[in-house]
Amino acid sequence: MNLALADIHHHFVRFLVTAIGIGALLTASIGMIGLYRGIVFEALLIINDVGADLWVVEGNRVGPFAERSEVSSLLDRRLEGVPGVSEVRRFIQYNQQYLIDGRRLQVAVTALDFPKDSGSWIPLIAGRHLYAGHYEAIADRSLGLQVGQQIRLGHDDYTIVGVAIGQVDIGGDGMLFVTIPDAQSLDSFVPSEAVLLRRLQHTIPNPNLLGYAVGNVAALMVTLSPGADSGQVQSRVRQWGDVTVLTRKDEEDVLVNGRLRRLKIQILAFVGMTLLVTTTVIALSIYTMTIEKTREIALLKLIGARDRLIVGMILQQALYIGVNSFVGALLTAHFIYPYFPRTVLILWPDVAFQALLVLIMCIVGSWFGIRRAMSVRAQAVLS
Amino acid sequence: MGKSTVYALRNVSISINSGELLGIFGPSGAGKTTLLMIAGLLDTPSSGAVLFKHQVISAPGVELNHLRRFRRQHIGFVFQKPNLIPFLTAIGNVKIALLINDEDKKTATDRAQFLLEKFGIGDRADNLPVELSGGEQQRVAIARALANSPELIFADEPTANLDSSRGRQVMETFRQLADYERVSVCVVTHDTRSNDLFDRRIELCDGTIVNQ
Repeated sequence: MNLALADIHHHFVRFLVTAIGIGALLTASIGMIGLYRGIVFEALLIINDVGADLWVVEGNRVGPFAERSEVSSLLDRRLEGVPGVSEVRRFIQYNQQYLIDGRRLQVAVTALDFPKDSGSWIPLIAGRHLYAGHYEAIADRSLGLQVGQQIRLGHDDYTIVGVAIGQVDIGGDGMLFVTIPDAQSLDSFVPSEAVLLRRLQHTIPNPNLLGYAVGNVAALMVTLSPGADSGQVQSRVRQWGDVTVLTRKDEEDVLVNGRLRRLKIQILAFVGMTLLVTTTVIALSIYTMTIEKTREIALLKLIGARDRLIVGMILQQALYIGVNSFVGALLTAHFIYPYFPRTVLILWPDVAFQALLVLIMCIVGSWFGIRRAMSVRAQAVLS
Repeated sequence: MGKSTVYALRNVSISINSGELLGIFGPSGAGKTTLLMIAGLLDTPSSGAVLFKHQVISAPGVELNHLRRFRRQHIGFVFQKPNLIPFLTAIGNVKIALLINDEDKKTATDRAQFLLEKFGIGDRADNLPVELSGGEQQRVAIARALANSPELIFADEPTANLDSSRGRQVMETFRQLADYERVSVCVVTHDTRSNDLFDRRIELCDGTIVNQ
């Protein structure tokens, strides 16, 4: 016979409502941690997927993600001559808003160094990678664009040739992959009247008739040859003095511990507060249930029940509430968070850690009820 | 109490024999409940002692928690209100007394069912207290009090909430326990309707015995 279960069964609706309430709080804390994980995941996505060993950015900067960076697009020629370097690709990314089909789309324009890079590393759910040097684009699914759709960007029409999945930037904007020249062109897009005025002022650079983009890019991505010494390559490039070299780990570190640091602290603070509220609710629920059972506890003591039976009953109730709330929270998170606009990543180590926290919260929360129960005297039955 | 000393009982010495049905009478404030609490090991006397089979089991300063085990094994209680645990069934309310005395589940179930059938409510074993009548609840309470085959039963106004017929039935049950199972039953009561069933009566007034 389990007294805790018998009591819960007898007051099932109250137990259910309490578990739902606590479950909602736990769902929020699971979601907040998952949101942070999701933001980190999205921030590191392109760093991990693009396959670059080194990032060469503007000197004294830690771009191109944590801060702005601008280097000459011709720098790739210089880098290709460095021993140990297998491949160099240019990189541009910036955020822009476009009016497409009557709706404003916030887009992360990301440039591929075509033909070296056709975007073969991008996971597609429809269509194909880039085949042409201009006016083709791969869109992330979050942008809501379809394969074959024509969209007006700047002065030109682009065809969506592929739809990717999970390709969003640190701000959650869906990526639109175009070639380097197209990205530079879109970045320098100005209205026609402004073009006329600038021509008068001779400020437009000469167009490159061979199709090779000049101007600036955000960074150069270096792939090392098999067996190459990364440290040596870095050292050699740093000696140039006008650029900074970052490894993949450096880029991750700059993002996670630099740009995302405040967000991490903010989210952890909110999670801490939510868990504190949850502990308080558990404590209040158990304390209330104990108060309501004062007479029964007195009776149990009167007929000779040991303290451990009473303590066990209260502790078990707290644990039943905690476990059921947590399981409910996990199920809710599993079903609702995929529909959230940002990625909410629920990882098993985080779940295990939060489960442990729930266990501790239940034990701490039940302490008040147990203390109250221990103060009940058997004589109370006679009053 | 506060700055003044109140003597709930003064110079009270009572004994109860095996198989005896003893009635404790008296007006409100006479000290009946205090006597019950001390004799039932729910409180310790400020002077004197409680003996069981000539052994001192309670005296001033004895830790109350230590007396719990003795109560579990030797004493049963019946109250004016049945005081059943509302979230346990009738059989659960009887079983709990056996389980806390370390009885195994099967034996506890069998014994509980036996006692409920003995008191004519075997078919109500799976009902919750709220589904039972007042008389049925009281019978469950008596079954619980007898679960561990105690040598001593204390009953505090057990018939106060029952009609004459049911009240008489309860007292006759106590009479049978005393006669056939040699259980010592001490009943604290105002009810004089079953006076003929007692072996002995003690009257308390203002904390002292005025008649026995």
